[in-house]
Amino acid sequence: MGFWDAVTDLIDAATPWATVEAEAPADIPAESAPAAETTEETTAETKAEEPAAAAEEPEEEAEAEAEEEEEDEDEDEIVDPKETLEEECRNSKECAPAKHHYDECVARVTGGTGAEGEDCVEEFFHLAHCATQCAAPKLWNVLK
Amino acid sequence: MLARTALRSTRTFASAKNGAFNFAKRSASTQSSGAAAESPLRLNIAAAAATAVAAGSIAWYYHLYGSASAMTPAEEGLHATKYPWVHQEWFKTFDHQALRRGFQVYREVCASCHSLSRVPYRSLVGTILTVDEAKALAEENEYDTEPNDQGEIEKRPGKLSDYLPDPYKNDEAARFANNGALPPDLSLIVKARHGGCDYIFSLLTGYPDEPPAGATVGAGLNFNPYFPGTGIAMARVLYDGLVDYEDGTPASTSQMAKDVVEFLNWAAEPEMDDRKRMGMKVLVVSSVLFALSVWVKRYKWAWLKSRKIVYDPPKESATRH
Ligand code: HEC
Repeated sequence: MGFWDAVTDLIDAATPWATVEAEAPADIPAESAPAAETTEETTAETKAEEPAAAAEEPEEEAEAEAEEEEEDEDEDEIVDPKETLEEECRNSKECAPAKHHYDECVARVTGGTGAEGEDCVEEFFHLAHCATQCAAPKLWNVLK
Repeated sequence: MLARTALRSTRTFASAKNGAFNFAKRSASTQSSGAAAESPLRLNIAAAAATAVAAGSIAWYYHLYGSASAMTPAEEGLHATKYPWVHQEWFKTFDHQALRRGFQVYREVCASCHSLSRVPYRSLVGTILTVDEAKALAEENEYDTEPNDQGEIEKRPGKLSDYLPDPYKNDEAARFANNGALPPDLSLIVKARHGGCDYIFSLLTGYPDEPPAGATVGAGLNFNPYFPGTGIAMARVLYDGLVDYEDGTPASTSQMAKDVVEFLNWAAEPEMDDRKRMGMKVLVVSSVLFALSVWVKRYKWAWLKSRKIVYDPPKESATRH
């Protein structure tokens, strides 16, 4: 994978019609993370607004609006993609057994029917392991 | 588990004994046939006794301590998930835009508790900051001068050759300010922890909203599944939107954690980009030399490889000698 990336990078850099980007193209996250709905929305919106703001320079009003929205999102509407992705993973079929055990344990311990001194750390670990494992590649697609 | 290991060890012990016994029997058989060969019954008794001792010791342990909870998962800590870090691929460099963001997170968040004492300002030049930015940053802090003519040590503004300042005067002050816990220096932390980048990323983003039911969290500690023992003195420090990135990247918790971890990886391994380039050069040069050596070998061996050995049998003659 890495090697052919390097080769194609070189070719891209050498061909006159290619655009060389220092970073990943902006629209990758929105496309390749269909699972992340809430985050997808926010990233897609911000990404969509940037070109829009740049293209409609004469229409100052539109630009100002877009910028305002952007700032709003930046300041208080940031949703951590890790949380949403992992929440989805926790509720997915893949992690159903771990979640089942964890929920049962919580019910047992909080209901007082568990063994004395029992805690749900181990069950929590299994669930967290499953959820992070499942969310890891998706998260890296969303993050810059 | 413990019982199983105990059983296994008695079995190996018994077989070792058998071996010794067989040997003894062989040497004895040369002398007299009626020597005291150990009967299978006695062997069985020995094995049974050893097992009884093993089981008894376990029972005694339970009697003394109530439960056996050594090596619990909580003690070990949750192993960090592997993340596909781009900079760790063979042909990839650090993402220097990410390093810049990560340095910003370090300065605005971590620097109030953690030192980064092995990183001088000069190393930031060209990798993270421009010369002017680095100089301006250095000048914000004061450093001791050499003793002057009267032996007094004065203060001067920092230079590029100075190292990043420590948040505390010494370890004792650091402990005092943090409830007795010492925030470790972060210069080499990525190399100093199992799991490296994955561990630190998981640690920073892994604080659950509340600890799982029944878990005990010590006074002044915070529950973090990734920290061995699960009780860590550092509270969660990264929250969504904590810093304002100059490049407009949304500063979610995981984005900041990812950036700061990549930055810390750079701090621990600033030579990585050069190392990979050097590795590439080594591969190129050695593959050329190898190809050359193959051709030279073919050339040198050509006469030997292309010769033909012909056996020319003498002509059959009618006369027999
Ligand atoms: C309020 C002070 C404070 C801030 C801010 C802070 N830390 Fe810490 N950090 C601590 C303390 C105290 C410890 C020691 C914890 C312990 O040993 O239980 C620690 C420990 C650590 C460890 C070591 C964990 C281990 O395995 O031993 C890492 C890594 C770390 N911090 C990274 C960071 C990063 C990265 C940031 C910035 C995003 C940061 N810290 C911000 C106080 C802080």
